Amino acid sequence: MEELKLNQTPVRTSRNYNINNIKLKDITIPKEIGNFENLKLKGKTSLVKKASSLENMELKYGVGIVNEPNVKLQINIIENLKEPLELDFMLNEQNRNLVENIVINASEEAQATVVLKYETDKDLQGFHNGIVKVNANKNAKIDVILINLVNGQTDNFLSIENVLEEQSNVKYTVVDFGGKNSITNYYSNIKGKKADSTINTIYLGKENQLFDINYVGELWGEQSNLDIDVQGAIKDNARKHFKGTIDFKRGCKKATGNENEYCTILSDTAKSIALPMLLCEEEDVEGNHSTSAGKIGEKELFYIMSRGFELKEALKLMLRAKFNKVLENIHVEELKEQIISEMEARLD
Amino acid sequence: MSKTQIEDINRNIYDIKNKDDYDYKIEKGLTKQIIEELSKQKQDPDWMREFRLKALDVYNKLQLPTWGPDLSELDMGEIATYVRPKTKMSNTWDDVPDDIKETFDKLGIPEAEKTSLAGVGAQYDSEVVYHSMKEDLIKQGVIYTDMETAVREYPKLVKEHFMKCVPVHDHKFVALHGAVWSGGSFVYVPKGVKVDIPLQSYFRLNSPESGQFEHTLIIVDEGASLHFIEGCSAPKYNKVNLHAGCVELYVKDNAYLRYSTIENWSKNMLNLNTKKAIVGKNAQVDWVSGSFGSKISMLYPMSILNGEGSKTEFTGISFAGKGQNLDNGFKVVHNAKNTSSVVNAKSISKDGGTCTYRSLVRIGENAKNSKSVVSCESLMLDDISKSDTIPVNDIRTDEVEFSHEAKIGKISDKTIFYLMSRGMSEEDAKAMIVRGFAYPISKELPVEYAVEMNNLINLELEGAIG
Repeated sequence: MEELKLNQTPVRTSRNYNINNIKLKDITIPKEIGNFENLKLKGKTSLVKKASSLENMELKYGVGIVNEPNVKLQINIIENLKEPLELDFMLNEQNRNLVENIVINASEEAQATVVLKYETDKDLQGFHNGIVKVNANKNAKIDVILINLVNGQTDNFLSIENVLEEQSNVKYTVVDFGGKNSITNYYSNIKGKKADSTINTIYLGKENQLFDINYVGELWGEQSNLDIDVQGAIKDNARKHFKGTIDFKRGCKKATGNENEYCTILSDTAKSIALPMLLCEEEDVEGNHSTSAGKIGEKELFYIMSRGFELKEALKLMLRAKFNKVLENIHVEELKEQIISEMEARLD
Repeated sequence: MSKTQIEDINRNIYDIKNKDDYDYKIEKGLTKQIIEELSKQKQDPDWMREFRLKALDVYNKLQLPTWGPDLSELDMGEIATYVRPKTKMSNTWDDVPDDIKETFDKLGIPEAEKTSLAGVGAQYDSEVVYHSMKEDLIKQGVIYTDMETAVREYPKLVKEHFMKCVPVHDHKFVALHGAVWSGGSFVYVPKGVKVDIPLQSYFRLNSPESGQFEHTLIIVDEGASLHFIEGCSAPKYNKVNLHAGCVELYVKDNAYLRYSTIENWSKNMLNLNTKKAIVGKNAQVDWVSGSFGSKISMLYPMSILNGEGSKTEFTGISFAGKGQNLDNGFKVVHNAKNTSSVVNAKSISKDGGTCTYRSLVRIGENAKNSKSVVSCESLMLDDISKSDTIPVNDIRTDEVEFSHEAKIGKISDKTIFYLMSRGMSEEDAKAMIVRGFAYPISKELPVEYAVEMNNLINLELEGAIG
């Protein structure tokens, strides 16, 4: 099978480091995508329009695999939505391939929370390759909650692209648990003055799972801001590649960018690679990044265990504490419970 | 209103050009015939001639890097890889021709030798012209000589170590180095010998359209210690010069080596240098690096921590001005238990200069209970310059403590305000902040070199803030 090179970084470094792109050998990209009908909607569902075609679906970066979509949705948000708009994609025997293109257009001053959840039936070998685009106009505020709970036989690809106008705010909360290979590409074009882009992610890898996470934010607007926070844990033979780029473009005076990644390693065969990049061609900015990796602190574990918890329970508690910052962003209680229960099952 | 200015590095001393006067200059280009002629001129033993030809084969097969600065202006057909000066190596400055001696005098080498060094090697173009070491070190069995002498007089030691730490397949410019190397230093410190005063080698490239390819091989045997200083400079010409040196350091069990570099090549130089250390059990190698010159620099010293309990520290600063693209960094591979690495890298960009910090920290499966702490800071002095940080952190075991942090930005307004509220002028406050930024590096150098570094970062702040 042809080797695929995916999820390329905006700047290359030595190819010996195996981080410029991800090479995948054992994946099957279905020739026939077929239909996908198993989408459940909640909230103000009238906003979700099936589109016969969507404009401007080209991607600056993207994962690198392009399929003809079998779901094309346009969501135009023109007001302040009180309730989250939930889109629940369930891959099953009749709907085993999902290639969705979703465009969320937020008008000036509009506000909304959009939940995108991806699941598969147990034992299904599914395929997901989605594109999500968010266009946030002046003063718009969009929260996107992305939940990947597909099973360990399914290949999961997702490309995200955002355009942020003046004083807009786009915040992503990502729970990335599923997939045999889970490859995510995120690009934010932060062009407006005082625009604010945030992505908070948790991932949890087990067995032979591979996570390749590539986040790129370009800061063009004066006083704009980008925050990237990624917390995760890997056990068994799981592998994680994190590539995060904060790119300060000339003219983005007084812009700020912060990137933080922490990987908890739960076995001596799990592997973590991180490439946190800061690119800067503007003097008057503040950029910081930090990455760290290690096992769970022994002192903290000892303390919890001294209070009567078994090792496994103590581990779960500590990871839950690390993940809480992200979980707190999810205000749909039923969804939060599902994520916590999935998290606990993965740590058993 | 005049603007605050942070001056370029003062290059008056470094830009002194001598007449391009040589005993022999090889034909420009890189062919098998040229390598054979170079080998003949250098009177290589057979094994070295064969080594050069194999390295040339590897060079021809390898690609240019697909990352980093653009090297398209490098045309090996326009570079003379060997220039022999009109003198033989001497151990007294009196025997060195006047024009060459004058150059080294102005660079302060003979004076430093008298006051603060245990030995000096001075290379001019492709050959070492002066080499000397204090008598007491000779008596203790320390060897400090040029590489050619080492190849002749210590063949077993050289064969065992030469380009084994940095194999010719590492990358294209290492292969080039293997084919055309000339000059450089060989140091052997016997078991248990502590060399308390530093040795220094200084590399000067005078000839235009040429390259310098010195090879430095240092073996610090078990329980021994050494501080080695490397300096380099060249006057500026219109066409590119090339530096593709190679440094191989073997730090055996319980040994210690500090390797300090002040690099101030001219701004037509492509500095594509390779440095690597293999570190034994409970041994330590520390790198101190100041990178100021070159048009393009691609330099990433590397420590391979093979011995249990081995350590490394890297402290480095890059200063990129107009027309400069300094792509520097550090690599460390933890291959054994209880190893540790500490990295502290800084960069300053101004006048359209580009600084890139590019690094690798790899903690392997066997490196249980290892620690690594990386910190890099970049200072932008105007809005036409560029500064990038590209670190790769590859962790392959759970019993590890690893952290990396990086900061980028301009001189903090708050800090200037604070200092001004304590009675300082704005200019003085800025000057203090920039000197303070460089201080963690300069404090690691011997006093004489810290002074030289402070002169290199010649901060002249004048007038009010524009």
